[in-house]
Amino acid sequence: MRVGVIGAGAVGARLARQLISTDEVDELVIRDRRPARLEEVVSSLGEGATADRSESSAPLEADVVVLACDTGVHVALARGFLGRNQSVVSLSDDVGEVRALLELDAEARERGRSVVIGAGFAPGLSCVLAAHAAARFDAVDEIHVAKTGTGGPACARQHHRALGRMAVDWRDGGWVQRAPGSGRELCWFPDPVGAEDCYRAALPDALLLVPAFPGVSRVTARVAATRRDRLTARLPMLWPTHPEGGPGAVRIEVRGRQGPGRGVVVLGAMDRPAVAAAAVGAVATLAAARGELRRAGAAGLASLVEPIPFLHELARRGVRAAIFCGEGS
Amino acid sequence: MSMIRRALVALGIAGLVAAVLRLRGTGGVPPRQGGWRELSGPELR
Repeated sequence: MRVGVIGAGAVGARLARQLISTDEVDELVIRDRRPARLEEVVSSLGEGATADRSESSAPLEADVVVLACDTGVHVALARGFLGRNQSVVSLSDDVGEVRALLELDAEARERGRSVVIGAGFAPGLSCVLAAHAAARFDAVDEIHVAKTGTGGPACARQHHRALGRMAVDWRDGGWVQRAPGSGRELCWFPDPVGAEDCYRAALPDALLLVPAFPGVSRVTARVAATRRDRLTARLPMLWPTHPEGGPGAVRIEVRGRQGPGRGVVVLGAMDRPAVAAAAVGAVATLAAARGELRRAGAAGLASLVEPIPFLHELARRGVRAAIFCGEGS
Repeated sequence: MSMIRRALVALGIAGLVAAVLRLRGTGGVPPRQGGWRELSGPELR
């Protein structure tokens, strides 16, 4: 199997390592606009990895192409690779970009290829956990996603942008826009992260979850933020981004009908976001290359993968899901 | 005087509404103890 990876940042480099350590991947071609970074990553990966200094959008011979680059170029790249009959895995978490990627569904279905959207930490692992939790219900009413932590600098910039843009929630069969930084909710993440205040922001999780759960009445997403994050969200970033963030976590709360009553299931995971995003991206890429996705087309992981084998594979790679067990719940 | 009377009536009504909501509330008490544990065994089958 030959895989192309566009972007060798904190997530892209780890994703490449996850892929190259998989027996089925014979060759990995990596592109990055920073030549020094590209050389550094490729030499650290050893045999099987090749640096490609071509433009990101240039034709690339690969069974699947993974887009782990900055947001803003994923749609054009996905359209180009899909036009060459290649499946694409995008790790974008930008609302506008995810919306545009979802519009590639008809073309991808027609071509019998897949565009896996939001194959990272959140969206990504959040979608898989939601699909897994949903299996416990006869009907899903509500899904609430919360995340904390950032991966590399690109992820930190996206977190900053998201807190300054309108949030998109699904409510009673329609999309509603909400002010960023509103809707404070104290969310308990898996240990050792614990409780953090989370707020609305421009997060694409709902866009990917709603099509996967027809009939769901509410889907929301929130992100943990400090007072300084919210205060400076509409300004340019005042502090330089860190090379990699600390521990992060994702939390999914699913509510619905279970037999005659109603119930709540809370699932989560704790890891460094770049590490977890890379593992999710790698497992999604392998599923796309093996033809193990549920269907062709452009969609999120909740629509495309079987959650149990996916979570098993993630656990094997060190990313473990957890369940919240409250007394009497 | 009438203003004080109105304020007292408003407070009384607010108290009554609060009491009704408190008595009729069916949400129950959220979990106060418990914690996270890894998904394993039958939960991943």
